[in-house]
Amino acid sequence: MSSRDDILARLKKHAVDQVERPEMTFEPLVYSDPLEQFKKIMKTVGGNCVVLEEGQDVNEVIRSVFPEARSIASNLPEVTCATVNPDMLDDPRELNGTDVGVIRGDFGILENGMVWINQHTRYKALFFISEALVILLDRKRLVNNMHEAYKQPAFDDFEYGCFISGPSKTADIEQALVVGAHGARAVTVILE
Amino acid sequence: MSSHAKAAKKFIADRERTAWHDQALFFVREKRDRMAHNVPEWEALREMASNMKLHTIANLPYYLEMFEKNATANGIHVHWAKNAEEHNRIVYEIIQKHGGKNLVKSKSMLAEECGLSPYLEARGIDAVESDLGERIMQFMGTPPSHIVLPAIHVKREEVGKVFEKELHTEPGNSDPTYLTHAARAALREKFLHADIAMTGVNFAVASSGAFVVCTNEGNADMGTSFPKVHIAIMGLEKVVPDYDALALYVRLLARSATGQPSTTYTSHYKKPMEGQEMHIVIVDNGRSDILACTEHVNMLKCIRCGSCINTCPVYRRTGGYSYSYFIPGPVGINLGMLKSPEKYSGNVSACSLCYSCSNVCPVKIDLAEQIYKWRQNLAPLHLADPSKKLMVKGMRFIMNHPGLFYNAIAAGRFAERMPRFVLYNSLDAWGIGRELPEFAKETFNEMWKKGLKTD
Ligand code: SF4
Repeated sequence: MSSRDDILARLKKHAVDQVERPEMTFEPLVYSDPLEQFKKIMKTVGGNCVVLEEGQDVNEVIRSVFPEARSIASNLPEVTCATVNPDMLDDPRELNGTDVGVIRGDFGILENGMVWINQHTRYKALFFISEALVILLDRKRLVNNMHEAYKQPAFDDFEYGCFISGPSKTADIEQALVVGAHGARAVTVILE
Repeated sequence: MSSHAKAAKKFIADRERTAWHDQALFFVREKRDRMAHNVPEWEALREMASNMKLHTIANLPYYLEMFEKNATANGIHVHWAKNAEEHNRIVYEIIQKHGGKNLVKSKSMLAEECGLSPYLEARGIDAVESDLGERIMQFMGTPPSHIVLPAIHVKREEVGKVFEKELHTEPGNSDPTYLTHAARAALREKFLHADIAMTGVNFAVASSGAFVVCTNEGNADMGTSFPKVHIAIMGLEKVVPDYDALALYVRLLARSATGQPSTTYTSHYKKPMEGQEMHIVIVDNGRSDILACTEHVNMLKCIRCGSCINTCPVYRRTGGYSYSYFIPGPVGINLGMLKSPEKYSGNVSACSLCYSCSNVCPVKIDLAEQIYKWRQNLAPLHLADPSKKLMVKGMRFIMNHPGLFYNAIAAGRFAERMPRFVLYNSLDAWGIGRELPEFAKETFNEMWKKGLKTD
């Protein structure tokens, strides 16, 4: 018998009594002022949130938040300040040393500051290897909680996707919080 | 003296360090409390998460096969391993097939459980831990002392010293930011030159064939971004029915573990990236036996958040190395007993029955109640009275734990003599006045045999 069949047979042999799938008995957390809550939670998770003003251009914002950035990687046509299109590179390792990566998020979650990034770039390395990450997000696409998040239409349509909540961090040395463990040292979400 | 009490003696000899360790953990526990209080439906959420786990456990073959079918359709190679040895062999064969030499891995308790790193090392494969805490422990040559906070017992000066040697950091500099960024730079090179990436799995979504990995550092994602091979390993209890079920656990995990609203990265892997091969190894290694232990089946709900460890007064004051099983605290006491009571019964004394663990567990596992049961089931056996009653109790114990006690029966000491718990001497209220039952000097085997003879 293969290990697979053996394991499944053992699980069937040892099976416990049937238990019905539970129903949801509670009303999950919702927020009355999404924009305010998103700004607040971004702060909690160590991120930065910029609400784009009428007539303001994202490139302006990116330039003003990261005035020293030399390499800006993005495959988004509206990001004209990009210095490199990461999709044109032969090897994701070439992204090492990128100052700012600019990507688009699909929706944000108010309870925890996560933004869903469905990989629309050739290399997912861009999300992690960039020293700083800028996420463009439609301000109308803010959901309250995880339950709503996973119910978004066509959520399962991805090959790789990641919820990102603020910059990379660790507290592995004496519980002292340090930002910039392996991934981006700064995350700015621009709400359009 | 129990194995835990003996080992704890060493740890608590350094009072200052004990107090520091206690405080560090309690700080995490308090953060968790704040998070829980911010979610009005917290208790209902725990309840549902617990019941959803029970439903999943009751249908494990169904959901595992569904996961396998969908993952395979997504282009992932699915493997099954009955035990640690088979798991290690499967991983090694994949590495060998690709001529891999440099492996980066993110934290996985399963790899620890299977002894994967020493196994690979013996075969010439350099398995670099990429989680900072794990990397520190790898440099120090000692195992993690906590499942979520691997280096919680290590002081910054000690990290500074080991980094000085391994990463040539400035002598005497023990600033956490400086040291973390030194590790970042060094590990960046490892990421870029790795040929195999390994990750654990926090959740496997049956309905989609996707699996989820949670980290704060981004090390799992960085690791899987370059090599041509990604091997993910999972205990078979990691499967969840679908995204609606997953939502419950994602909400609970980080809040319970570290007191954050979520981990920084909650990564969903569904299809191998361009030019990459993706493998997943589903591991049993005793889990199907736990299913048969009616009294302890709840342990299969565990999402390895570590909050029962953070809150445990005994753990906080005695440290991870006082436990003989590689997972410490309430969760480890129970999992150790399920693995081998013969080897790990020395940990059941490390509990004051304060029930704090049961109260914080996000999936409502009755941890303290189970520890109590272990004690109850062990304690009667010490009545060195070779009566029929004893035999019946012994038999019932065995019957409730099929497949687990063969080792204990076959050989050796199992209940250790357990004098006054060493910790109760000087520490505060939770310990005072709570004496533990003495366990027998005789081995389980001897007692059991005596019981049989009188029949
Ligand atoms: S037993 Fe509960 S509290 Fe402990 S690690 Fe597992 S899920 Fe977390």
